[in-house]
Amino acid sequence: MAGELVSPTPTLRGSARRAAALRLLRRRLIQAVPLMLGVVVINFCLIQMAPGSFLELMTAENQVSDPATVALLRKTYGLEDPVWMQLLKYIWALLHFDFGFSYRQNMPVIQAIWIHLPATILLMVSSITLAVSIGVAAGVVASMKVRTLWDSLVSVAAMFFYAAPSFWLGIMMIVLFSVKLGWLPVGGMMKIGGASGGPVAGVIDILHHLILPTLALGLFYAAIYTRVMRSSMLEVAQLDFVRTARAKGLSRNKVTIHHVLRNALLPVVTILGVQMGTVLAGSVVIESVFSWPGVGSLLFDSVSSRNYPVVLGIMVLGSLVVIAANIAVDLIYMWLDPRIEIR
Amino acid sequence: MTIKVSRRVFGAGVVAAGLVGTSGQSLAQGTPRRGGTLVATWGGGEPQACYVPAGGGSSPTFSSSKLFERLAKRNMDGTFEGVLAESWKPSADFKSYTVKIRKGVKFHDGKDMTVDDVVFSVGEIWKKYAAASALTDFAGIEAPDAETVVFNYKNPTPEFFFASTLCGIVSYIVPKHVYAGSDPVTNPANNAPIATGPWKFKEWVRGSHFEYVKNENYWKKDQPYLDRLIIRYVRDPAGRAAAMEAGDIQIGVFNPVAPPDIKRLTATGKFVATPKGYEEAVWSTTLECNMRNPIFAKREVRQAMFHAVNREFIAKTVYYGYARPGTSPIYSPNKEFFTADTYKINFDPKKAAALLDAAGYPKKADGKRFTLNLLSAGWFPENGKVGAYVKQVLEDVGVGINLTVPDRPSSIKRIYTDYDFDLAISNQANPSEPVPSTTQYFTTDGILKGVPFRNASGYSNPDVDKLVDRIKVETDPAKRKALVFEFQKITTQEAPLLPLVELESITLASTKVQNHSNDPNFLAAGWGDLWLAS
Repeated sequence: MAGELVSPTPTLRGSARRAAALRLLRRRLIQAVPLMLGVVVINFCLIQMAPGSFLELMTAENQVSDPATVALLRKTYGLEDPVWMQLLKYIWALLHFDFGFSYRQNMPVIQAIWIHLPATILLMVSSITLAVSIGVAAGVVASMKVRTLWDSLVSVAAMFFYAAPSFWLGIMMIVLFSVKLGWLPVGGMMKIGGASGGPVAGVIDILHHLILPTLALGLFYAAIYTRVMRSSMLEVAQLDFVRTARAKGLSRNKVTIHHVLRNALLPVVTILGVQMGTVLAGSVVIESVFSWPGVGSLLFDSVSSRNYPVVLGIMVLGSLVVIAANIAVDLIYMWLDPRIEIR
Repeated sequence: MTIKVSRRVFGAGVVAAGLVGTSGQSLAQGTPRRGGTLVATWGGGEPQACYVPAGGGSSPTFSSSKLFERLAKRNMDGTFEGVLAESWKPSADFKSYTVKIRKGVKFHDGKDMTVDDVVFSVGEIWKKYAAASALTDFAGIEAPDAETVVFNYKNPTPEFFFASTLCGIVSYIVPKHVYAGSDPVTNPANNAPIATGPWKFKEWVRGSHFEYVKNENYWKKDQPYLDRLIIRYVRDPAGRAAAMEAGDIQIGVFNPVAPPDIKRLTATGKFVATPKGYEEAVWSTTLECNMRNPIFAKREVRQAMFHAVNREFIAKTVYYGYARPGTSPIYSPNKEFFTADTYKINFDPKKAAALLDAAGYPKKADGKRFTLNLLSAGWFPENGKVGAYVKQVLEDVGVGINLTVPDRPSSIKRIYTDYDFDLAISNQANPSEPVPSTTQYFTTDGILKGVPFRNASGYSNPDVDKLVDRIKVETDPAKRKALVFEFQKITTQEAPLLPLVELESITLASTKVQNHSNDPNFLAAGWGDLWLAS
């Protein structure tokens, strides 16, 4: 959805930019309606096509053998309706912000997701913040010291963290920092039973638990940002306006920060927008290695148990996040490069 | 009473884990020390609910069994002992059993446990959910006085069977005042149970752990020894190993870590690994023939399938040597009913080929006799490896194999609902009492479409049905034992479904943890008697 960039154009200023931004917002929101409908229909149909159902699994786990009980359960869960009717009912419920009921967790879907959401948001925000910070900084350093030892070091490190499987990296970090050195906890989000010493101690405890999963996940993303940032910086540095800035006698740092960096950030923002979609789904692997109680674990369990209402709920919410993130990306484009008009 | 197959993935290593004999220190030492927190885990994932009235697999059994109690338990020496029942005795015709209920037991909310709770639990929970297949002959329960309940049966009921029913895996006594008038499956109390056990539910942090605290009013006045019990869920076996090594988790049941980690951790001298505590829940990997395929109508063909397979090889290679060949549907640790005097299905590819020839299936020009669909249930990773091996050896004797390893829901649907297989590799876990947990895989009444872990092969033999009916009602222990021996002889010869290997489960514990693995189904025990050495 992000994109359709038209540049260069005469720079939009003041009220014209605000009006353009509002137009963009309105257009994107209108486009979001069929997009969401498509997401719901496709995901619903894909899930229906998968062999096995949550009812079969539930009766299996509960050893329900009585046909009358199975029929009652089918009716209770609305499975006796034809698929198209189930889809229409689901869409109607969604329009009323009802994501359905998870019979596995015995609670509304939104509540099941909500329980796991804070952990996922915390992990993803921290890891993406780390990734962008390190990635942008390392990319800038590599581009400024191109074909030097620094450039080589950054490139090798980026390649290593990009290539290393995150579960392996996570386990290695646990072995080193938790088992051997005893500096950081092995897993979980907080000390069981809560940290003694009040809310501040609680926050510190969570941050303590957050370090390793953030590093394991963030360094992978940082590797991507580093590579993108380096090449983007080198590309922008060749453009005419940078040469002009240098010709005006601006210092190297000033040219790099005010002219090259700002424009080189555009691809990073693009990737950031795309990765926002993974926020809600979380990282199944990292959550598994570090016992992080996030949405990724919930999604994995839900797929394994064919808990369709929860899977659909996560998909729909994930799609909403992607749409919101892409709108935000479009607006950030306009802010970063006033020449850009998004049609 | 049936021990249901866990739907949770074991993780790497899983059942392969095992060290023969207990390594490290002894399991119980000295005078119990009071206080402390024990953090435990198991080789699977988080349960769908803390308590599932029908069982729901090993995970909810693990979490609920620390809170709820049964009327009786089985000891390591094979004897039965009353828990919430003080005693029981049969009537002269064995059609009823009088059970004296323990006095002075309170639920966690302070209310007294009474005979009404027992009557409600048996009639509304056991009969309908927890032990339905074991109570087919059940005719009702009554409470003639405030300390007694009487179980009535339509037919004579053997004492061993009755006592085993009292010890059923989720045959818990639940509070009537919490469950009466509600749907037990969706009752909110399932996620924060009120029960009578040594531990009281405090908190469930979803995706992380359960926290249980000491029941100060527990009827065993000196227990529990510990102050707090945490059940922590770590999805990844390597993560469990790291957490145990770092001291975050002190005990893991049911193959918590991969075999190399068991060896590594026990080598430090800080951990002990033992296969004890699984005698009433022996797991096996089975191969079953779908009788709906006319090829399997001839017994020789079924026998050939098993003669072609080297079970020793599977035990040593797939399970790292921590399994043993299965020879009977009653597993070898079963002291009451196992017999080695059965039809010998030894590894003998030549015999397999000869049997297939004799059955009228010679090799054709392409070297194949016929082709079968082999389904390996994907809930345990080892099943896929066993499937790959079975495919290879059956192809060696001229049987073409199309192997699939579907995931858990697909496997359940294809094996137990659609019967969409010719050969299936699955798993069972059975207690000592063979009826119905073992027999239902062979009897006609076990053919229940859509009900997992029953007779999916479709095998139906009036002789076996009659024999099982006799086992059900034979009250003379010696005669009953002989009938079960006969059952094993027939089923091994008929071979519709047989275990390939019996698996060995492992508990890994810190040497500080005392009194563990002291129950024949330790995963499902109450753990009130565990304590931590200083």
